Amino acid sequence: MKKIVLLIAVIILAWSCLYAAELEYFQVYKPKEGMSADEIMQIKYFNKYTLFAHDVSYTGKAYFIDKSGATRERSTARKRLNLGRKSDGIAYKDLTIFTGPTQVKGLCSLVWTYLNPKKEQDVWLWLPSLKKIRKISQAESDDSFLGSDFTNEDITTRRFDDETYKIVKEENFGGYTSDFMKKTYYKDTPCFVIEATPKRANWYYAKRLIWVDKNYGTNIYEEKYDANGKKFMTLLRWHEIYNVNGKEYPLQMFLEGRDLRSGHITEIINETVKIDQGISEEELTEQALSRSRW
Amino acid sequence: MLKRILCIFSLLILTSTCSFAEISKGNLTIAGFLKNETSTGLNDFDDLSKFKNILQISGEYKFNPDLVFFTSAKYWYDAVYGWYDKYDPAQHYMGHIQRTDWLRDCYLDYTNGPWFLRLGKQQVAWGQADGVTILDRVNPVDLTEYWLPDVVDLRIPLWMANINYSPKLNSNLQLLIIPDFEQSTAAPPDAPFSFRSYKKFMAFKDFWEGMGNTLNINFYYPAKQFENSKFGVQWQDRIADWDYTLNYLYGYDYLARTYLDSTVGGTIRNYGRRFKLVQMVGGSINKSFTNPGPLQGVTLRGDAAVYLNEPTYYGNPATGLSVGVNRWNNVFWLMGLDKSVFTNWQVSFQFAQYIMEHDSPGVGTYQTMNSYTYGAQDQVENIFSLKISTDFLHERLKPEILWSFTDDNQGRISPKVTYEVNDNLWLTLGIHYFYGKEYDSNGQFRDVSQFYTQIKYTF
Repeated sequence: MKKIVLLIAVIILAWSCLYAAELEYFQVYKPKEGMSADEIMQIKYFNKYTLFAHDVSYTGKAYFIDKSGATRERSTARKRLNLGRKSDGIAYKDLTIFTGPTQVKGLCSLVWTYLNPKKEQDVWLWLPSLKKIRKISQAESDDSFLGSDFTNEDITTRRFDDETYKIVKEENFGGYTSDFMKKTYYKDTPCFVIEATPKRANWYYAKRLIWVDKNYGTNIYEEKYDANGKKFMTLLRWHEIYNVNGKEYPLQMFLEGRDLRSGHITEIINETVKIDQGISEEELTEQALSRSRW
Repeated sequence: MLKRILCIFSLLILTSTCSFAEISKGNLTIAGFLKNETSTGLNDFDDLSKFKNILQISGEYKFNPDLVFFTSAKYWYDAVYGWYDKYDPAQHYMGHIQRTDWLRDCYLDYTNGPWFLRLGKQQVAWGQADGVTILDRVNPVDLTEYWLPDVVDLRIPLWMANINYSPKLNSNLQLLIIPDFEQSTAAPPDAPFSFRSYKKFMAFKDFWEGMGNTLNINFYYPAKQFENSKFGVQWQDRIADWDYTLNYLYGYDYLARTYLDSTVGGTIRNYGRRFKLVQMVGGSINKSFTNPGPLQGVTLRGDAAVYLNEPTYYGNPATGLSVGVNRWNNVFWLMGLDKSVFTNWQVSFQFAQYIMEHDSPGVGTYQTMNSYTYGAQDQVENIFSLKISTDFLHERLKPEILWSFTDDNQGRISPKVTYEVNDNLWLTLGIHYFYGKEYDSNGQFRDVSQFYTQIKYTF
């Protein structure tokens, strides 16, 4: 009898741990003192993918600046619908449309991301030069995200399970100054500093150091290091806090990536943001994509 | 000649420094481009075969989110047809835009719940194949430059009602009613990409008339009546990660076939160019393998179609002249595989088969003929294509190579590289290298392999 009770207790404990590991969609989570690196990073990923909101739409611009200062620009409009739906395993759907310049205007991608972290995304592209949709495979995680200094996994594909974590220290962030925005961000913000090591062998980075805001659980800054321990990339993510029905939603409004090897810089600025506007799932289907005009 | 090219190039560079973007005011958006396309012989850079200047302007007006008007107009002229005497016979047709082709899009979009209507002049793309039109036969095609331009420029837009209803998430029923009719076009003799079959026929006409005889060609277009409209239906759905469509198209084929109608007194030949009623029944699939396993990261796509009563030429390939047309039920299918490898290299492979109903026309010793060349056509044509592309310099430099070929040792190799000078100016350099025999689809152009440049200024 004792064995049965013990077994049940173990099962309940295991279940509660499992449940705790899966943060519930449409809630707001913040880090607490004493949390483990894993718990903090789960909140960080939850916030990164805006899983606290039902839907988010942005318009914004990206600037690609090379070492000589030459700048190229892209403007985009994006929609995300969070589902967290167990019946078909869909976590969320994203629609990104290039609105400029004219050469890429109309290029549009629809991405479905699944709850199962091992399952790749489904991706459809609307190609203006063909005026039709092409289903494509998920881009390689280490490929550049739309030609920026961010990789695809920096923006869309990296999951909590892809790395192991440990807390290195806790400190007040020293501040990050962006020459592009002529502004210093996050000075003296209390942070957990977490070291993330990729599980994949021979990956394009050996570790990341991530500064996670203690107040909101957002990744405000990170540094990537190669196998020789040399820093080769820095990424700033500036969040603004939106109060929606009494809940505080941290949303990424400005990202700056610096490739320290090439001197190339990427600036991504979200100019407008709308939250929980009741985006319909019909707007994130192949049919909606095929109605593109440009 | 070089001076003119340099002059245009300088003008484009100069205008690109005056950076201005699309006009976007309230509900109105206007954008466009100016483009120069220049081609020369691969072995002789002085042999210009194209110096085409294109202006396209597109505009969108949103009355409200559910009611949007979109239009796109294009004008072009190709200066080489005025520069060289050898192109004189083709100048009228190839030198500048024809008839109403300048209006590329002109339609109204209306959305209401599960309904979506697109009414007006437009193009509709069906199927998953790249560069091979298996299901993509809703619009006629402009083959005056063979299959080299972007598909969006190959399709000839038509006035139509495009009615869509989505009964459930991820599904769609599309009905097309196309009262408009345009024929697919081909380059006239003396243009670089004139089909051998066309040249052979016109050579015969010259020969016949040179002997003091008469050869008449009459065109029989479908009468402009509603019952002669083209009708299309597509059902689109998704089952367990597989996207699929079922397609049906009924109406007059856009490609006219030549019939010998009568011979009078041995000296007068009357030919008729006729468009025949055909039906297409088919479908497409696509799936990305997203779950862990050996196929993870692979995208599979495919098209298949049966063309019922498709006109098929037969004749004597040795003389290069057709003597008749059979109406067969032919099959065309394709399977494609795509995968990203080594971080940012995309590999795309396609295999297609065009299978004719019979191996022989059953008329004397005549053989089935390729309509592009009047060469002999195999009952089963195996077609392959391999495309590899990547990017460098933060997607600023994009090289790509396309190799399409058949089992008859003929094909085309087309490498190209595109460079983004700035947000408004894009350069492309490339080659189209054709190989094969004179009577092969690609081989017929083996003497017009070309080096080309494209300079595109967008606004």
